[in-house]
Amino acid sequence: MSDRTIPRGGAARVLDNPWLGRTAILVLAVAIYVFPLIAHSDYRLYLGTQVGIYLLVAMGLNLLSGYTGQPSLCHGALLAIGAYVTAIATVDHGWSFWPAALVGMAITAGAGALIALPAFRVSAWYFALITLAFAEVVGGMLIEWGGLTHSFSGVVGIPMPSAFGQSFNAAQLFWLVATIDIACFIMMANMMRGRFGRGFIALRDNEIAARASGISLVRLKMFAFVVSAAVTGLAGAFYAVQKTVITPDDFTADVSIFFLVVVVLGGSGRLWGAALGTVAFFVVPELLTSLQAWRLLIYGVVLLALMLFAPHGLAGAIASAWRSLRVALGASPRPPPPLATAPGAPTVQKVRGMAVSIAGLLKRFGGVTALDRVSLKVEAGSVHAIVGPNGSGKTTLLNMICGFFRPDEGSIRLDDVEVVGRSTAGIARLGVGRTFQTPKLLPELTATENAMLGAFAAERASTIEVALWAPRARREHAALAAQAEHFLGFVGLGERVHEQAGELPHGQQRLAEIARALIGRPRLLLLDEPAAGLSLTELDKLGALIRSIADLGVTVVIVEHHLELVADICRHVTVLDRGTVLAEGTPDAVFADPAVIAAYMGARPLAEAAS
Amino acid sequence: MDLDIIPNGLAAGSLYALIAVGFNILYRPTNVFNFAQGDLVMLGAMIGASAMAAGAPWVIALAAAAVFVGLIALLENAVAVAPVVRRSSVSHAWIISTLAYSLIIDNLVGHAWGPDPIRVDPPAPLSTTTFTVAGMRTSSYQIALIVGTALMILLIERFYRTRSGKAVMAVAEDRDAALLRGIDPGRLSRWSFFLGGGFAAVAGLLASPVLYASTQLGPALLIKGFEAAAIGGVGNNRGALVAGWILGLAEALGGSLLSPGYQQASTFVLLLVILLIQPRGLFGQPEARNV
Amino acid sequence: MTALLQVEAIDVGYGHVGVLENVSLTVDQGSIVALVGSNGAGKSTLLRAISGLLRPRRGRIVFAGTDLAGAPPNRVVDAGILHVAEGRRLFRQQSVDDNLELGLYGARIARSNVAARYARVFELFPVLAERRRSRAGVLSGGQQQMLAIAQALMREPRLLMLDEPSLGLAPIIVDQVLEVLLRLRDGGTTILLVEQMVERALEIADFGFVLQNGRLIGQGPAAELARSDIVTSAYVGAKQHN
Repeated sequence: MSDRTIPRGGAARVLDNPWLGRTAILVLAVAIYVFPLIAHSDYRLYLGTQVGIYLLVAMGLNLLSGYTGQPSLCHGALLAIGAYVTAIATVDHGWSFWPAALVGMAITAGAGALIALPAFRVSAWYFALITLAFAEVVGGMLIEWGGLTHSFSGVVGIPMPSAFGQSFNAAQLFWLVATIDIACFIMMANMMRGRFGRGFIALRDNEIAARASGISLVRLKMFAFVVSAAVTGLAGAFYAVQKTVITPDDFTADVSIFFLVVVVLGGSGRLWGAALGTVAFFVVPELLTSLQAWRLLIYGVVLLALMLFAPHGLAGAIASAWRSLRVALGASPRPPPPLATAPGAPTVQKVRGMAVSIAGLLKRFGGVTALDRVSLKVEAGSVHAIVGPNGSGKTTLLNMICGFFRPDEGSIRLDDVEVVGRSTAGIARLGVGRTFQTPKLLPELTATENAMLGAFAAERASTIEVALWAPRARREHAALAAQAEHFLGFVGLGERVHEQAGELPHGQQRLAEIARALIGRPRLLLLDEPAAGLSLTELDKLGALIRSIADLGVTVVIVEHHLELVADICRHVTVLDRGTVLAEGTPDAVFADPAVIAAYMGARPLAEAAS
Repeated sequence: MDLDIIPNGLAAGSLYALIAVGFNILYRPTNVFNFAQGDLVMLGAMIGASAMAAGAPWVIALAAAAVFVGLIALLENAVAVAPVVRRSSVSHAWIISTLAYSLIIDNLVGHAWGPDPIRVDPPAPLSTTTFTVAGMRTSSYQIALIVGTALMILLIERFYRTRSGKAVMAVAEDRDAALLRGIDPGRLSRWSFFLGGGFAAVAGLLASPVLYASTQLGPALLIKGFEAAAIGGVGNNRGALVAGWILGLAEALGGSLLSPGYQQASTFVLLLVILLIQPRGLFGQPEARNV
Repeated sequence: MTALLQVEAIDVGYGHVGVLENVSLTVDQGSIVALVGSNGAGKSTLLRAISGLLRPRRGRIVFAGTDLAGAPPNRVVDAGILHVAEGRRLFRQQSVDDNLELGLYGARIARSNVAARYARVFELFPVLAERRRSRAGVLSGGQQQMLAIAQALMREPRLLMLDEPSLGLAPIIVDQVLEVLLRLRDGGTTILLVEQMVERALEIADFGFVLQNGRLIGQGPAAELARSDIVTSAYVGAKQHN
């Protein structure tokens, strides 16, 4: 749900601000831990624990629906799975809470993986309905599998967790849940500022950018589903012990909708969204009791109003109010964020360019043959231009090299690897970078964050390391941010590294794409009309830029109309016309060829003109 | 095995197909899959049932329900779809806004009518009294429902052969190109919401003699209609008819072998498997969208 | 000659990003006007603004005495401006006949006239008459382009705007298409042509405008423009040596 009208910061900007973020978390944490000591009421403590449990679910849902853009209507059912597994294991089988909760988490994660399966092939709204159907099935099974679930009577007498032979009291349960919430929040925040956050947002806002950056959609989506479900399953375990009795009535369809309302209200796809939404719901408990009968109506009206007037929820509203306040107070609208602790300028190593060898490539779209048995060789380390009139098949050729389209016939070898039939992400990971005629950036992220996306497949810190922000993840993040800024400087966007990509003019967006491609250390770079819409001075810079990229050893294939630029930077030119190779050779020879001039400018061949 | 499952399955499947066609009518010009469709069907059933309880003849009740629900759907377009789609045509914000609209209808209708199902008689001379033919127990209403559904869907497909119908398909395929030919997608969307809502009401009233009219039906009908639409290929009405029948028969067969809870589960698994193999459904056309 | 279309000092952009700045141009009744410039210069954006797909931020678009700036596309079509978009934007799932019928959408004409319109486009593009029942998507590129033009002609436009009609077509097909444009002009249709085949475009045009980076950098009678190097520089991007 991108909304360009509201400028916003990056995935986890708050945490990058050492003062605001950490102080806020510290104050909150202290307040949360002191709460049981001053609650003076079992009911308040109970509510507090409930807030903590709901917050876990909301964080899980926000990851999937907010960041990854897959709206789920089954988180109530996932909560039920976690709760029932824990309850059955502890009550009926005498397990202790801890292994029961772990198994509950694992089984819920498995259910998440199951419903994820069709999501790889259908669009987000299908997924929403599939989750709705799944929730209905789970509801049915809770009753159907009476032998396991005790049907309508539910599971009764779920024991508190215990440690060292001591059963937890209410305050201890609260502290346990609060600790898990805080740990989960911090890990979520770390994931979101690391590669996962960028990857999730790419899945949501621009799958093409994700694929071109070497992200395997299947793996990353599956990861989002599984993590989201596991967190919800863990919440289910606590839900069971807190309630001590669970029945199918606890997990009606309304529960799933409730969580969706919570996330949208708080701010979907915002780090603080889940927390703000959950708290907002419990600040108005009177509303929940006295208006019980109108609950769904209230949910509906709130959701509708949010979608119409505040698609980024409370978190979005607070962020824009904060920005307006700063502007009103005369502060600069974009405070210079702290520079990543750059370990010196990154040394850009030379690479060994990739050779491209294309043979007999054929592609038809309906009755139109876009490429008609094209063969082409690009030497490793060269700058090779593909020119030709619009509609001659140039972009189609690039799309096939990087795997967006599959040719009907023919072969594409990169060095000695046949890539026809490989996934786009797989080809990108071989070392193929790509820019697009219409830039495909993530408009809500900054130029730096967009550039960092390009290194997705190259990052080495493990999931755990990223979640814990371990030294290696931290170092990698800092190095990457420095590299991103370096490459943005390299392409001439040094001044605009912290601007949102959506705010950059077209030509600069294309340059940002080049930086995104370069950070992945490509050995082959495919540029699709990088010069379109650039001014003359920008053109000169672009020429110099491409030459310096070539100096690194990278093979560059450039589709370009600007013939003078092509003549400046390329030694080899291939001219395509209506899907076939019309001419090949050095720029001088090719551009003097009357057939090329005829195809290009529409001049009649000399002989014909003379007659 | 009991042969009754054939008429029972086809009748239930016809209802699923009708709901799916309602989805499709809205989906074609807007690319919006209306999450409130189940509740529109339910609302149609309640209005029709109340009108008949007040003594209105079946046809009048049907017309009243269709017009009223059509207007409710038109309102949905105005408050929950058009503004959201206008802001960003690529986002899926409409999922949440139409879901929100469905919650509002669901709650209001629940308060207006209460939870008790209302029995609705089929229009004379049809009846739900069963008789046996070729070893199958069926009723005149079941037969009329099955045949009537097929005819209605063929009729709707005829409409898509008129110039307005072609314009709807044109908008579905390429909105900008349609704009350039003077087609106003907003106007077609409004009409489609009105007609799709009216059609939902018809489906609801037709379902009532079989299912009873009940305010609880919304979500279940939403899911069943979606399953039929997805299996048949979203946007494909004939596909929806065949898929509805397949679903109905599979359910009736499952119902004779399995208990109701498993029946839902088996339908769900069927849906997952079909979507995994054929993401565009059994009869869906591949969309030719390029990078 | 009288001006049929006058674009007066328009600015057009997408979101925060401006594309056209202070562009003015005039299309005289009964002429062919060519609009040339490199990719990304803003030619398509200008056509989209005229046909109502984009709303100019500033400026007027006066057509036959009425300001159409900001009018919805269906009003622009009703006024008599038909835009054949780049890339043969047809309804590929529908037949040739259906596509032609959609060209009549909203046209209030007598049923007896309908047959005459079909006859006229089939006379201009005989190949379409042979493929009336084929799906548009299976036609060859040239046939698709002819169908796209024919679809617009069903409405009998006063101003026909074409965006890159030569795109991906064989020279002989391009000849046929341009030939048709000349015939249309002689029949009284005014034409605004965006074309990458600059020499060909200027050959058939009466007047030309040159766009670069969203600004008008040159205009003049087509024959004069064809001889000046301003066009070459704008198109293939020779740098202006100063």
